[in-house]
This record gives sequence, structure tokens and C-alpha cells, in this order.
Amino acid sequence: MIQLFRVLQAGSRNFMRNMWLSTAATAVMTITLTIVIISFISNTALTSTIKNVTDKIDISIYLKDTITAEERDDFQVALSEHPNVESVRYVSKEEALEAYKKENQNNPTLIKGLEFAGNPLPASFRVQAKDPKQIDGIVAITQRDEYRGLLDLDKQSTYQGENKETINRIVRIANFFKTAGLVASVIFVIISTLIIFNTIRMAIFTRREEIEIMKLVGATKWFIRGPFIFEAALYGIIAAVIAVVLSYALLLGGAAKLVNYIDVGSTITFFQNYPLLVIAGELFIGILIGAFSSMLAMSRYLKL
Amino acid sequence: MILFDRVTKVYPNQQVALSGLNLHIQPKEFVTIVGSSGAGKSTLIKLMTREEAHTSGKIIVGGLDYDTIKPRDVPLVRRRIGVVFQDFKLLQNRRVGENVAFALEVSGAPRREIKRAVPKMLQLVGLASKEDRFPQELSGGERQRVAIARALIRQPKILIADEPTGNLDPKNAWEIIELLLKINRYGTTVLLTTHNKEIVNALKRRVITINRGKIIKDEEQGRYSLEGGK
Repeated sequence: MIQLFRVLQAGSRNFMRNMWLSTAATAVMTITLTIVIISFISNTALTSTIKNVTDKIDISIYLKDTITAEERDDFQVALSEHPNVESVRYVSKEEALEAYKKENQNNPTLIKGLEFAGNPLPASFRVQAKDPKQIDGIVAITQRDEYRGLLDLDKQSTYQGENKETINRIVRIANFFKTAGLVASVIFVIISTLIIFNTIRMAIFTRREEIEIMKLVGATKWFIRGPFIFEAALYGIIAAVIAVVLSYALLLGGAAKLVNYIDVGSTITFFQNYPLLVIAGELFIGILIGAFSSMLAMSRYLKL
Repeated sequence: MILFDRVTKVYPNQQVALSGLNLHIQPKEFVTIVGSSGAGKSTLIKLMTREEAHTSGKIIVGGLDYDTIKPRDVPLVRRRIGVVFQDFKLLQNRRVGENVAFALEVSGAPRREIKRAVPKMLQLVGLASKEDRFPQELSGGERQRVAIARALIRQPKILIADEPTGNLDPKNAWEIIELLLKINRYGTTVLLTTHNKEIVNALKRRVITINRGKIIKDEEQGRYSLEGGK
């Protein structure tokens, strides 16, 4: 117990004594761990975004508020009769409002605003195509003279054909960022391993006299190695704490701007629900990198 | 206490440092080892502190057979032997008291014991008033006393002094030798290596002369000479 305490004490003292090197090593480690978190965040956020986007692959045909029940049935039948149509579902104004409220339940001001505005959402048909690539025929029905006048003019109907390009692009970009995040994480883990390796190597050289004396007075191998491992682990521990705070701040700060493009909500919720898991994960990675690189340095430069 | 039976040490570069050396030292003896540079004195000491392993033969120190000790027991061997060197090997950034305490810290001694033992030991070596000084503030003789205090703090049965007076003026050198004699009177076996002819001749103790890895002379009241015979 007292041995462990002395090892930790010596490790912290070494950390303080090499303030510049320690700061540099901690800084690189902080960058690495921040990149790891951000890569993790964007991975989950992008996955959830892709899911949201692909869920929306159906044709939404928005209807005028003035449409009569008769006109509506007629239109629905005409759509259903098309051979490429799997199903046609009517979504009333009320249903649309409910769904909208549910989607935005975290935004009370928006919902309050809706109550004053009445219900601005149009009713719609949700058409599921059998073959999503062959929707021209379905689009053609909506352009017939008898139905064209029933379409809502404010809200453009969405056809999968048009969305598809966008959806594909979003998926492509999202996958690119996911891969880029992973590659960047790996590269920075390697860089910080090398830097800590070098920091500990220099620490071994500057303290070789002290190490010799420790051996002379009968210090055990782990008593000599311990402070170096702890010193390197300390870079990881400090860096992990900074990285978690930094990335959480970045996430909260960036959320307002990102929310229109990708789904960051679930990631923020994850952060808030499992803060210990996030910190523990970062500490684990940080300590692992530190301990591994210092052991590597010692196996080459600290002969006991 | 210390037994070397036909001990040979060959370094990896094929250099033969000791060849079939026999040596027997009784408890509480004061033995001086002399020999020119490269004769094998340093190797002899390194084998005793297990800094080097012997190639063949048998080494038994304090009842411990060096053929049977495991690598992880080496630190325990070193804790039983105190060693001081010509260049003192003190930690420059620690105070005198801390340097002495260091030897106890690595073996896991509780703080209370350290606080009790260090001032006592410093008093024994005559540095009671210098506990809070740094090594740079001390004279060479005083630094060697700190090293001796550190070597003795764990009350080893054997103290090895490897050229302890090499960096000291005659007056300081004599004070160190007198300190070693005092320690020997308290019951510690002392093994001294030196090149100082006056000291060896004045000591009138057992002198072992080594040449080319062998003992060429072993006299109960020896005199300093590097040649075999007279």
C-alpha cells in the first residue's frame, strides 16, 4: 500500500518536473481523445440521420384544405389502381398535426405557437411504390387535369425520384465522414503513442542516475517502472477529462447549427444519460495508450 | 559470510574478468582488496551485488546461494548489502535526509520508521546538523558520509566500499576510513577496495591482492603491493 502510494507520488513528481514535455504529451493525447469522441458522436449521429432519411422514402402528395371527401376518394382510388402502387395511406390534417407535435415534443415554444396558428399542416397521401425506381406513372396521375387542382400549392409534394439523389448523396457523405472519423482516430492514436513513447524515453534518460541508485538500494523492478507508467497514464487521465468537457461543449455549441442537417439529439441524450460511460470509456482509452507506450519505451530503454 | 568457490566470470565479449577465484570472508572482518585497474575488483563487487551473474563456480553470501536466486529476488539481495562508491551516487535534487530515507522508501518502510531511523543514522556518520542540506552544499567527505548513511540505514550485515576515498583529500579520506572502522566495530563486515597505499599500510588489516582475475596474495596484516611476492 505504502509502496503504491510512493510509486504514484514519484510519478506525479516526475510529471511536474517535466512540465513542458508533460504538457505537450497531454495536449496530443487530448486532441486524440477529442477526435475519438467526435468520431464516435458523428458515427452515431450520422447513422441515426441515415435511418431517418431512408424512412422517408415514400411519396407524399399534399392536398389542399378545400378538398371534398368525394374528390379525395376518387384521387385515392385512381392512385391505388396504378400497377406500381403498393399502398396509399391517407393522413388527415389532425394526424399530421399529432405526428408533428410528437416529433417536436422537446420544443414547447414551437408547439405553443402551433396552438395559436391553428393547424397549418396539409392532409396528404402517403404512397408506397412497389418499385421505387419506376414512379413516373404515379407522378403522372397527380398531374392529370382532374387531380392537379387538388394539390396543395404551398407544400411541394415529394417524389422519391427527386429525393433519391439527395438521399443517396446524404448516405454517401455520411459514410465518408464515418470512415474519415475512424481513420483520423487511428492516426491520432498512433501519433500520441509515438509522442508518449518519446516522452518516456527522454524521462528514462534524464533519470538514469536516479534509476541506477534505485537499483543500488534494492528497489524492485515495478517500483522503478511504476512511476513511468503512472506518469504516462496521467497524461491519459488529464486528457480524457479535458476531451470529454471539450467535446460536450462543442456538441452543445454546434447542436443548434447542426440540427438542420444531422440528428445530434440522440447523441446529446446519450451524453446526458450515460456521462459516466463516456468518461470511463475515454479514461480507459487514455490510460491504455499511456500505459502501452510507456511499457514499450521501457522495454527498449530501461534495462533492469 | 562471503564465500567464492572457483568463481569465473567471462563477459559476453569473451573478456575473462575472474578465473577460478577462491575467497572466504568471515563475519565482522575488515578486508581490503587491492589490485591495479582491470584486475577484477569491480567484477568481484558486481558479482556480490548481483549486478552481474557469474559464469561458473559458487557464490554464497549471507547464507544465500547465488545459483538459486530468482531475478525478482535480486532486489532483496541488494537490500542486505550496503554499497558506497567513489562518486557517491547521491540524488542531487533531494536533501541529505531524503537521500538516506530513499533506501528505506523503496523497501516499503512506514513513514514513522523512516522518521525515527534517518536522524539516528545521520548522527552516527556525524551529519546530524545537515539533514536539510542538498548534496551540492556539502564537502566531498560529507557527501561520502551521506552515501554511507544510506548504505547502512537498512542495517546490512555487509558494507562494500568501492574506492570510497578516491575523490577525497587525505584528511577527508582518513575520516571516512575511521568511520568505516567504527562501523566495523559495531559488527558490520566491511569490504574496502582502494588504491591508496598509505591507508592500506596504516590499517594493518587483512589485505587481498588481485591480479588478472586471481587472488595472488592474502595476508592477515597485509601491505600494499601490486606485485606477487614481496
